[in-house]
Amino acid sequence: MHRSTTRQQYGDGAMTDTPTNEDSPDLDSCVRIGSIVSSNSHLDYVVEVYKERDCDCPPELHEREFGQPVFIKKTVDGTEHAVMGVIYDTQLVDPDQGRTGPRLAQDDQAQFTPGYIEERTTLAGVALLGTAEISEDGEIQEPTHQMPRWTLEVEDTVFNCPDQVTVSFHTVDDQIQLAYMDRLLDIAGDLGSEVIVALINRLQGMLPDDDPNQRVLDVVEQNVQWQAREQRGVV
Amino acid sequence: MADRSDVVGTVAGPGDDPNEFVFVTPSDKSIKTGEFITYTVSVEDEPRSVFARVTNRELIRGLPEGFLADPEVGPETVAATLGVPTDDTELYRLTATVIGYYDTNMTTFANPRQLPDPGTPLSIAPHQQLETVLPNLGCETDSTDVTSLDGVAHVGWLLNRPAEATNLHIPIEEFASTHLAILASTGSGKSYTASVLIEEMMRPTSRASLLVFDPHGEYDTLAEMQGEEAFQGEDGYEPDVVYYDPERLRVRISELEIGDVMAVLDNPSNRMQDRLSTAWRSMQNRESRTWGIDALIAEMEAEFGADDASVGALEWRLRRSIERNDLFHPEENVPLDEIVDPGQCTVLQMDTLDRRDQQLITTVLLRRMYRERLGDVRNRDSDIEHPIFALFEEGHRFAPASGEAPSLGIMRTITSEGRKFGFGLGIISQRPSKIDQDVLSQCGTQISMQIKNPSDQDAIKNSVEAAGEDVLRELPGLTPGQAVVSGDAMNTPALIQVRQRRTPHGAGSRPVIEEWREAYDERQREPTQSESADFGEGESTGVQSLD
Ligand SMILES: Nc1ncnc2c1ncn2[C@@H]1O[C@H](COP(=O)(O)OP(=O)(O)O)[C@@H](O)[C@H]1O
Ligand SMILES: [Mg+2]
Repeated sequence: MHRSTTRQQYGDGAMTDTPTNEDSPDLDSCVRIGSIVSSNSHLDYVVEVYKERDCDCPPELHEREFGQPVFIKKTVDGTEHAVMGVIYDTQLVDPDQGRTGPRLAQDDQAQFTPGYIEERTTLAGVALLGTAEISEDGEIQEPTHQMPRWTLEVEDTVFNCPDQVTVSFHTVDDQIQLAYMDRLLDIAGDLGSEVIVALINRLQGMLPDDDPNQRVLDVVEQNVQWQAREQRGVV
Repeated sequence: MADRSDVVGTVAGPGDDPNEFVFVTPSDKSIKTGEFITYTVSVEDEPRSVFARVTNRELIRGLPEGFLADPEVGPETVAATLGVPTDDTELYRLTATVIGYYDTNMTTFANPRQLPDPGTPLSIAPHQQLETVLPNLGCETDSTDVTSLDGVAHVGWLLNRPAEATNLHIPIEEFASTHLAILASTGSGKSYTASVLIEEMMRPTSRASLLVFDPHGEYDTLAEMQGEEAFQGEDGYEPDVVYYDPERLRVRISELEIGDVMAVLDNPSNRMQDRLSTAWRSMQNRESRTWGIDALIAEMEAEFGADDASVGALEWRLRRSIERNDLFHPEENVPLDEIVDPGQCTVLQMDTLDRRDQQLITTVLLRRMYRERLGDVRNRDSDIEHPIFALFEEGHRFAPASGEAPSLGIMRTITSEGRKFGFGLGIISQRPSKIDQDVLSQCGTQISMQIKNPSDQDAIKNSVEAAGEDVLRELPGLTPGQAVVSGDAMNTPALIQVRQRRTPHGAGSRPVIEEWREAYDERQREPTQSESADFGEGESTGVQSLD
């Protein structure tokens, strides 16, 4: 109830074909995934995914899947920034189920503690990865994987991050970087290695096959998976 | 102590052994095992620099091994991808063993009997200090200009330091009087190191009287010391290098002892041994020292009858083994005054003699020289009135653990008693396990170089008590010219690079390929018919001359 009033007009329609625009993705016209409803910590936000009712063009399933990079726009000191994140978890809420509302999380599962929700909803957990500046012509520049300092707001719109922007965000001095990895592992908890592997696989799919970064990413993926297996007692 | 600019690490705490401590260094202070470090402690209210040797180094923090999964992807690239800084990531834990502080009264190391406290800053021991305290030079301060001392041999520099940064000068008197062993596999630099020592001993500041028993002709280039400025004294001194070739090596028969004779005869029977001993004793009691085999046989016939079968058999053996061997002679002997003199290095070239003859000439010469040294020290008339030092290549040949060499007895005598009489031995060998343990353990100073054979390593461990385990562990990994110097000439063992010779090295291995090709070309030039003659009636398979 508290959130529906200021929903923007999503009717501008052009957004669906923008991610395929290879040259310069227009960050304004990216698919909107949902809006922030709460946070669990400075880097860990809960997003309510848009439904038919909320906008003309709700995200399709594959546009808000596990491991999908996202961004939130923030203007800081007159400069527009993209706060980058990734969907690392999802949860379904059915308020009619036993009238208990969403599962009131125990302390150790504190990811989702949304407030009162009255309709069936899909919630997505978004972990923040870093930030970048948005240039005049709508591209991102100066990506950094350091912890974002700014706090997002409830109702901030979360956008699907197109592939090209994902690659730019992960490229520092021609070298692929995932310097947020330790933080992400921490936030994503049990699914930490899976979300990193999903990100790596996405990046690998975006890079040319003979890109030297492919092998580096292989090594990183191996390490993450091995550590996860060790932690889970497989090896 | 307040100045931390030269601090390379910080003490973390005690180690496993009572004399051990552990310290931590960042990666940019790369400290190798074997390095000497120092810290200050207060001993009886005086600040003392305590020295310690680094014995182990392990990484306690560094990039995970998983980063090395793909040989074509550098670990630093993986680290960069994950935003892990690669400089300053590594931390090392090192173990060090306390050697002690240099006690200027005792002129050696004293154990402070206390380990450094955690947090104590550690520095690399300064060059000059190490040059002063590592060798047993008897300096009265802990930092002296050792190059100005007389009677020291510059053998090389510490292996862990840059070339010629921390030089090692060992006291010649120490190793020349309490004997020296140079032990290493073939090709590791034994002869080279021995030649470096010879060069040092022949310099104007020492003017040694040296003898080299050279069974392989490896010391032919020492003569080049002559005419070299480095070896010339202001008073006109120059070393004399004398080569004694096998033709001039003679053993006077009367110098042989009965045991020596038995060693050269083919399996004499017990009765033959009896007869020979009796006759030999009476010959040695004679006034004349210049008798030959004829006189000996006459003596035996006189005692046991001309038709005694054993005497007949002995005669045949004596004529074959002694009379017909040019080495033995009724009168001629190597004149001692020709081979020993101060400032003279005599190389006894024995390369054409067989092993038995090498042993016999050595036995007789050592015995004669020892007698003269004994006489000199006891104020009797003597041909050798100064200390001497004799070096043996193939030392295990002259003092074998198997006991089968006539020279073993006199070698044992000299190594155990020689220091009192100014007679030092240097034993060079590639088979330490085959050297008589009594002889080896009496060699007070040891230069051990690369050695891989486990039984030889054990022999070194057993006889070279001065070099600790941690130093001996290095032996298999050394390369030619690297050595561990330990024993009487040192206050503590050190790992060094032996310096370059001033004279050329004469003992390199042969250029086989070159010689093959030369020989082949030579063969090509020979007339064809001589080639077919070599192959008898068969067809020559050699390449025929094309013209
Ligand atoms: N201190 C050194 N400096 C330079 N080269 C050395 C040194 N010691 C040994 N070598 C090299 O190693 C080779 C073998 O040394 P050598 O003394 O003849 O071995 P060994 O007597 O132990 O069989 C030499 O020909 C020389 O090239
Ligand atoms: Mg040699």
